[in-house]
Amino acid sequence: MFSEAWQITLFSLSVAAGSTLLILPFGIALSWLLARRDWPFKSILETLVLLPLVMPPVATGLILLKLFGRRSPLGRWLYELGVEVIFDWKGVLLAMAVMSFPLLVRSARISFSEVNPRLEQIAATLGASKLRVFFTLTLPLAAKGIVAGALLAFSRAVGEFGATILVAGNIPGRTQTLSLAIFNRVQLGKDEEAYALLGITVVLAFGAVWASEWLVKAKKNV
Amino acid sequence: MLNAEQMKSLRRLYLLAWICGSSLFFLSPAGAEEIVVAAAASLTDALKEIGEAYALRSRNKIIFNFGASSELARQIDEGAPVDLFFSADSEKMDILNQKGRIERASRKNLLSNRLVIVALKDSGLRIGSPKDLLRADIRRVALAEPSTVPAGIYVKKYLEGEGLWGPLKSKVIPVMDVRAALASVESGNVDAGFIYKTDAAISKKVKIVFEVPLDKGPQIVYPLAVVKESKNKKTAHNFFSHLLGDSARRIFEHYGFIVLNPSPGAGR
Amino acid sequence: MLLRCQMTLGRFALDLNVSFESRVASIFGPSGSGKTTLLDAIAGLREIQSGEIQIGDRSFFSSSRGINLSPQKRFVGYVPQEGALFPHLSVRKNILFGANRKTGSLNASEITLAHVAAVLEIGHLLDRSVVHLSGGESQRVALARAILSRPQLLLLDEPLASLDIGLKEKIIPYLRRVRDEFSIPMIYVTHDPTEVLSLADWVIVLSQGRLLAQGIPRDVLMSRQVLSHLEEDQVENVFNARLIDSDPKAGRSRVSLESGQEIFIPYVAEPVGRSLQILIRGDNIMVATKRPEEISASNIFRGVVSRVETGDGQALLKVDARDLFYVRLTSSAVEKLGLVEGKEVFLIIKTRSCRIL
Repeated sequence: MFSEAWQITLFSLSVAAGSTLLILPFGIALSWLLARRDWPFKSILETLVLLPLVMPPVATGLILLKLFGRRSPLGRWLYELGVEVIFDWKGVLLAMAVMSFPLLVRSARISFSEVNPRLEQIAATLGASKLRVFFTLTLPLAAKGIVAGALLAFSRAVGEFGATILVAGNIPGRTQTLSLAIFNRVQLGKDEEAYALLGITVVLAFGAVWASEWLVKAKKNV
Repeated sequence: MLNAEQMKSLRRLYLLAWICGSSLFFLSPAGAEEIVVAAAASLTDALKEIGEAYALRSRNKIIFNFGASSELARQIDEGAPVDLFFSADSEKMDILNQKGRIERASRKNLLSNRLVIVALKDSGLRIGSPKDLLRADIRRVALAEPSTVPAGIYVKKYLEGEGLWGPLKSKVIPVMDVRAALASVESGNVDAGFIYKTDAAISKKVKIVFEVPLDKGPQIVYPLAVVKESKNKKTAHNFFSHLLGDSARRIFEHYGFIVLNPSPGAGR
Repeated sequence: MLLRCQMTLGRFALDLNVSFESRVASIFGPSGSGKTTLLDAIAGLREIQSGEIQIGDRSFFSSSRGINLSPQKRFVGYVPQEGALFPHLSVRKNILFGANRKTGSLNASEITLAHVAAVLEIGHLLDRSVVHLSGGESQRVALARAILSRPQLLLLDEPLASLDIGLKEKIIPYLRRVRDEFSIPMIYVTHDPTEVLSLADWVIVLSQGRLLAQGIPRDVLMSRQVLSHLEEDQVENVFNARLIDSDPKAGRSRVSLESGQEIFIPYVAEPVGRSLQILIRGDNIMVATKRPEEISASNIFRGVVSRVETGDGQALLKVDARDLFYVRLTSSAVEKLGLVEGKEVFLIIKTRSCRIL
C-alpha cells in the first residue's frame, strides 16, 4: 500500500509539474499581452481565459472531452498521429493545464502591470531592443509574481478532480491522481488508505500555498 | 456606499433570508407519501417506466436514485434516507444484511440479466469469442469498476473463468457504473465495452458483438429489499408488491430482463 | 544645434523652430506647459500625430517623409524626473545598462565608468543596490547611466524637482561638471529659474505648448513677458564670481564679480581663485537714495535705475550698479523714494543674502 501511495503521489506531482511547465510560456506571453496591449474585443479573450476558474470543473471537463474525443476532428487527427488523450495520462495533463491556466495568468498579469512602464521606456532610450527589455527588465521584475502564480497553478493541478475524471477516467496505474485515488478508496470503503492519501494531499497543498504566499510578501519588501 | 437607513433594511432582509433558508433544512414534505428507491444503474429505464405507470394509480411519489450498486450500498450504510434497495448483485445486499440495514424478511431475488460485449454500430469489429479481445486492433475495453460494481465483478469473474483477465487487464478502462461503460462505447473513446444485454437494448448507437452464453457466464441476480430505517414502511411495501406484480413484470421483460420465479431468497 | 519641433499632440500644438549653439539649452515653463511631453516626443517615447522632429542633421520623426526612428536609434540619454533606476540591478549594472552600444558620438572613448563615477562622485556606490539610495545619489546614478550610453544628446526632465532646496544646490555643480567634462549637448527641462540661470546658455520659454520667448537666460527670464509667468520669489540675480580671500573668523569670504566689483558672501572654504556662482534673490536687496551709515550690511553698491516695471502693487527694478541687479519692491516703496529711470540709488545687500551655488 505504501508503494502504491508513493506511485500515485509521484504520478500526480510529475504530471502537475509537467502541466505547469507546459502552461508557463503561454501564460507569460498571454498575461504580458493582457497587461500591456489593447485590442478590439479584448474582454472576450479575458473572459475565456478566466472561464475554467468559474465554471464547474466537470463542465470544463465535458468541453475537453468533446473537443479531444476520438469522434471530434481534433481527436481524430490526434488519434491518427498515435496520440490518445481520453483515458490517458495526456488527458490528465490536459485537464490540469486547462484548469490551472487562469490562476497563472491572473497572477502574472498583475505582476506585469505592476512593472513601471517608465523603466521600459528608459531602457529603450538606452538602446535596449524590445526583446532585451522584456528579458532583462520586465520579466525579472515580474518574476516573483509569476513564480507565485505558477505555484498556485501547480497546487491547483495536483488537486484537480472534476475535469480529470471526465477526460482521463479513474484508471489505477494509468490516470489515477491523488484526488482520484481518494475518491476511489472512499468508494471502495478503504478508509485508511483514503486518509493516508488525504494526508499527503494536504501536506502538498499546504506547502505550495505557503511558498506562494511567502513569495508575494517577499516581493512587497523589495 | 449605503446610508444608515439602507444598511438597516439590508440587515433585516439578510436576517429574513437566512431564517427562511435555514428553516428549509427542518421542513419535511407534507401531504402524500414519498419514498426513495436506490436502484442499480442498469434498471434505469425499466424502473422509470414502472414508476410512471405507478404514479397514475397512486398518490405516492417514487423518487429513484440510480447508480452503481456498490456506491448506493455505501450510501445506505452511512444512513442515506432510502426506503427500497434494488441491487445488481447479492454481495451488496449481503453486506447490508450483515450490518442489519435491511428488513431480512422482505428480501427477494427478482431479476436476472446477461452480459454482452458491445461496439459502435458502425464499427467493423468481429468478436467470435472473448479471446478475440486480445487482438491488437482492440486497444481499450470499458467495463464498470471490477472491484466493486456488480456489472464489473461479473465480467471479471467471467474473464477469470476463461483465463483472460490477466492478459486483458492492461486494456481495461474501469468506469463508474454499467451505464458509464455504455457511454464510453457510445462516445467512441473505447473500442468495446462489457454491459448488460438490457443496456444494449436501449442504446441506439451500439450493437451487440458478442453475447456471453448463459452457461459460461456468471450467475447474475438482482435482489430487492426494504431498508430497515425507512420512515415510510407502508408505502415502501406497497411499491415492493407492485414490483412483484404483473404490470411490472411485463415492463421488465419488455426491456430484456429475466424475471426470476419469486423465491424467498431469505435467511442468507 | 538645430532643434526643429513641430507636433500636434492631444490638445497641444507645439511649434518650435529653434537653433542654438550652446551646450545646455533649457526649456523653461510652468507645470503643464508641455515640457515633459516635448521631451518624451524627442526621445521617441510618445506617439505624435503629425510633425517633424529634427536634432542637428538627424531627422527623428517626419510625418511628411514617413520617418519615425525608434527610441533605440535616436541615441538620446534620458534622465527622467523620478530617476527610474532599475530596482533589481546594482548601481553598476544600472549605469552600464546602455554602455555597449555604438552611437557614433565623438568622445566615446573618454566616457568610461571610472571617469563618469569620478565626476559625479558615485564611485563608492557602485556595488550597492539602487533601492536604498538617497534622492541626490539616485539622480546622479541616473545621470551616469544616461551618459554612459554615449548619447548624442542628453535630455533632462526636471532632474532636481524631487529634491529639496539644499540638495538641489549641491547637485547643480555636478551638472555643471558634466556639461564641462563630457561635451554632450543637453536639453534641460525645468520650472526653476535658478537652474536655468546656473546651467543653461540658452533658454526656450514655453507656455501651454507655445513658444513664448527664447534667448540668453538672464535677459529672457527677466523680461516682463516671462516674469508675469513666474512666481513672486523667483527673481534671481545670478553672478559668476571669483574668490579673492576668505576670513573664517569674520565668517565671510570676498569674491569679485564680472565687472571686478567685490562683494562679501558667507564664508566658503575654497582656495583662492576658485570660480563660483552667486545667487541673490531680488527680494533680498534693499534700496536707499542716500548712502546709509552705521548699517549691518557689508555690501553697498552705488547704481542707477535703468528700468522700473510696476503692476499689481509690486515693482521690479533693473539697476545698473556696474553689474546688473534686479530688485523687487512694493509700489509704495517705489513711490516713497521717488524711484524713476535715471535715479541714483544705493543697493544694500546683506552678506548672508548671498547664496553660493
